[in-house]
Amino acid sequence: MAGRIFALARRHPRRVLPAGTAGWYALIALALGLIGLAIYAYSVQFREGYIVTNLRNPGRGGAAWGLYIAMDVYFVGVSFAGITVASIARLFKLQVLEPVTRLAELLTISALLAGACVVVADLGRPGHGLLELPALARPSSPFFGTFTLVVAGYLFSSLVAFFLTGRRDAATMARIGPRWLRWFYRGWASGYRFTADEHARHGRTTFWLAITILPLLVCAHSTLGLIFGIQVGRPGWYSALQAPGFLVLAGASGTGMLILATVILRRMLRLRAQIPDTAIHWLGGFLWVLALVYLYFTVVEELTATYAGPTMDRHVAHSIVTGGYSTSFWVYVGTMFLGFAIPFTQYVRGRPSVRGIAIAAALVNVGAVVKRLLIVVPSQTQGSYLALEEGTYTPSWIEWSIMAGAASLVLLIILVFARIFPLTHGHEPELTRDSTLPRDRARKLASIAWATIALVLVVVGLTDSFRLWSGGDLDPRLPYAPLIFAAGVMMLFSTAVIYELLPGRRPPRAKARIVDRARTRAAPPAVALATAIRATERTNRPTSGSQP
Amino acid sequence: MSLRRWFTQLLAPEPSPARRDFLRNAATLSAAVAIPQLASAAPRARRRRHWGMVIDLDRCSGCNACGVACRQENNIPTYGPDPTFDGARPEWMSMLWQEPERADALPSLLPLPCMHCADPPCVKVCPVGATYKDPDGFTMQVWDRCIGCRYCMVACPYSRRSFNWTEPAWTPLELQMLNPDVATRPRGVVEKCTFCHHRVRKLQEEAALAGREPTDAECQRLPACAQACPANAITFGDLDDPDSRVAKLSGSPRAFRLLEHLGTEPSVYYLKKDRG
Repeated sequence: MAGRIFALARRHPRRVLPAGTAGWYALIALALGLIGLAIYAYSVQFREGYIVTNLRNPGRGGAAWGLYIAMDVYFVGVSFAGITVASIARLFKLQVLEPVTRLAELLTISALLAGACVVVADLGRPGHGLLELPALARPSSPFFGTFTLVVAGYLFSSLVAFFLTGRRDAATMARIGPRWLRWFYRGWASGYRFTADEHARHGRTTFWLAITILPLLVCAHSTLGLIFGIQVGRPGWYSALQAPGFLVLAGASGTGMLILATVILRRMLRLRAQIPDTAIHWLGGFLWVLALVYLYFTVVEELTATYAGPTMDRHVAHSIVTGGYSTSFWVYVGTMFLGFAIPFTQYVRGRPSVRGIAIAAALVNVGAVVKRLLIVVPSQTQGSYLALEEGTYTPSWIEWSIMAGAASLVLLIILVFARIFPLTHGHEPELTRDSTLPRDRARKLASIAWATIALVLVVVGLTDSFRLWSGGDLDPRLPYAPLIFAAGVMMLFSTAVIYELLPGRRPPRAKARIVDRARTRAAPPAVALATAIRATERTNRPTSGSQP
Repeated sequence: MSLRRWFTQLLAPEPSPARRDFLRNAATLSAAVAIPQLASAAPRARRRRHWGMVIDLDRCSGCNACGVACRQENNIPTYGPDPTFDGARPEWMSMLWQEPERADALPSLLPLPCMHCADPPCVKVCPVGATYKDPDGFTMQVWDRCIGCRYCMVACPYSRRSFNWTEPAWTPLELQMLNPDVATRPRGVVEKCTFCHHRVRKLQEEAALAGREPTDAECQRLPACAQACPANAITFGDLDDPDSRVAKLSGSPRAFRLLEHLGTEPSVYYLKKDRG
C-alpha cells in the first residue's frame, strides 16, 4: 500500500532522493559556466549599449528585434506545454502521465523565468521598464498581455498549482528527507495533514485550477502571437494564423522539451523505475501530432503568401523559402518533418522507442528555435512596403551568450530540484472533485471574500488600465492600475491556497485512536498510509520529538 | 459619441483638451501679469489644428539639405564614418533614392519624415504610452518614458523610427553647435521626426503674447527641413485651415499619400505629376 518513495525509504532511509552522478555534476558545471558567460555578456551590453548586438534600425535594412525576442517567445512557448500536460493529465485522469506532471510544471516555471530574463535583457532601458510597466502599461498594446497575463496569471497560477500539488510529498519528505532541507519541506507542506478532508479539498482545487489555467494559457499565448499578427505594416507578420500558430508551436516545442528533460533526468539520476517508458511514449504521440499540425500551418502560410499575395508578402516569403534565409527555412522544415516522422513511424509500426522519441524531441526544438527566428527577422530586414534598404541579421556572440545563459537557467533549476525533491508523486488516493466534505463555513467565507476582493481588483485595475476613467488623459486615474490588475489576478489564483491552507477544525478526541484501528483491513487508505509513515519513522530513525 | 469613436479613443486616447488649454492659458496669463501692457488682453481659446506637410516631388532635387538641416536642428548624432554604426544612425528626415529601371530615366526621390498619422500603429502598440497623439495632430513622444522595447519601430509601416543604440557622441565642434531648444536623447530610447514641434510651440507662444494666432505665411517654412529646402518643395501648415497653402496643395490632383490602403491616415502629402 505504500508507494515507491516509501518502499525506498524503508530499504535505504538516506536514499529517498537520487544521488548525484558524474553526468549531473558535469551538467551543473556547464550550466553555471554558461550563466557566468551570459552575465558577462550582459555587462558588456549594459556598458557599451546595444550597438554591440547586431540589431539595427529597420529603415536601414536592420532588424530591431532579433534573437532576444525570438528566444522570449520560444521560452514562453516551451512553458506552455508543461502546465498544459499537467492540467490535461489531471482533468482527464490520464494516469500514464502522472509521473511527469511535476517535471512538466517545473519546466513551465523555469522556462517562464528564462523568458522574463531574456525580455528584460532586450529592453533598451530595463530599469525604466520594470518601474514604469506596473504603473503605466496600456492594454491596447499586446505587450500588456505579456507583462500581466503571462507573469501574473500564467507564472503565478503555475506556481500555485505546483505548490499545492507538492504539499503532500513535502509533508512526507519533512519526515524522511535530508535533515538540512527539513525547513524547506516543512514550509512547503504548510501544515499538511494526511486526512481525507485535505485530500478531498485538494481534489477540488486541482480541478478548478486546471480548468481556469487552460483558457488563461490560450489567452496569454494568443497575445504573444498577436504581437506580430496585428501589424499591418509588416508583410509576413500580418496574418490571422499567427496567434494559433504560436499556440501549436508552443505545444510542440514544449512537449519536446519535456520529453528531453524526462529522458535526460531518467538516465542521469537513474529514475527509470519511477518514470516508466509509457509516459514518454504518450508524450511522443502528442509531439508528432503537434509537429504535423504546425507543418500544415507552414504550408498554408506559404501558399497564401505566394499564390496571389501582395508584392511584398511574396517577396518576404520568397526570401525565406528560396532567398537569403532559405538555409534556415529548410533546416526548420527538415527538423520539424523528422520530428514528426520518427515518432509517427514508430507509432504506425507499434514499436515506440524512448531513444527515437528523444531524438525527435530535440529536432523539434531546434526547428522551433529556427522558426521563431524566421518569424521575427525576415519581415524586418526584407519586409518594408516602401522601397527601403534591405539587409541581413545574424546574432552576435553577446546575444548567443545571453540566450545560452537563459537556457542554462532552466537546466540548473531542473537539475537542482531533481536532487532535493522527488520528481514523481508518492502514492496517493485518486483525486476527485466531488467527494463529500464536512461543512466548513469559515473556509468557505474566507475563500469567497478573498476571491471577491480579487475580482474587484481585477475589474478596477483593468478598466483603469484602459484609461476608462481618465477623461482622455494619458495616464490611469489610480496609481499603478496595471499592478492592481495583476495583483487581482494573482489573488484570484491564490484563492486555491486560502481554501486548502486554512486550518480546519481540530479532529475530535475519539479519532486519535485511529492508530489502533489502522491494523485492521477496514482502515481507509489515507489512514493506513499515515500509519506506514509513522512505522517507517520508528524503525529507521529516532523520533525528533514532535508528535503528529 | 459614436461607438466607433469610443472604441478608437479607448485604443489611442487623446489628451484632454481642457488640461492642455488650462496649462497654456496659465502660461499666457502669467506672462500677461508680468507684462503690464498686456494685462488687459484676455487669453483666447486656441483653435484646434491638424498640422501637416506637403512635399512637392516635382521640385525635389534630392540634395538632402532637408536631412542635414533636420540633423542639425534636432541634435541628431552621426557617430562619424565608423562602419559599426551602419544602420544604427538615427535618421528623422530620410532621403529615399531609388535608381530607375531605365538608364535614361530620373531616379525616384522621396524625402521621408514621420507621417504623423492620424491613426498611428506606433501609438497603439507602445506599452507605456511614451508616444501619443496630440489634439493638434502631432504624434508626440515622451522620451523620458520610453523603455526601449522597440515595438513602435517594428510597428511603423514606414520604418520612420530610430533607436539610440548607444549614448550620443559629439565631436567638440558638434558640441558647440547643439541646439538648446531640443533635448538630446539618452541611450535606449526611440526617437523620430517631431515636425519641429519646438518651433511650432515657440511660434504659437509668441503669437499668443501678441494676442493673435500664427498666420499661414509664418508656418509654411517653419520646420527646419522646409526652411532649408532650396527648391521650396516642402510646405508646412494647418491642413484643417481651408485657406492654408498645405490645404490647397493637398487637394491638388497631383497629391497622394504613402501606403494609404493601410488606414494609417498620414499627415504628409506628396505631389507628383507623373506617377507612372
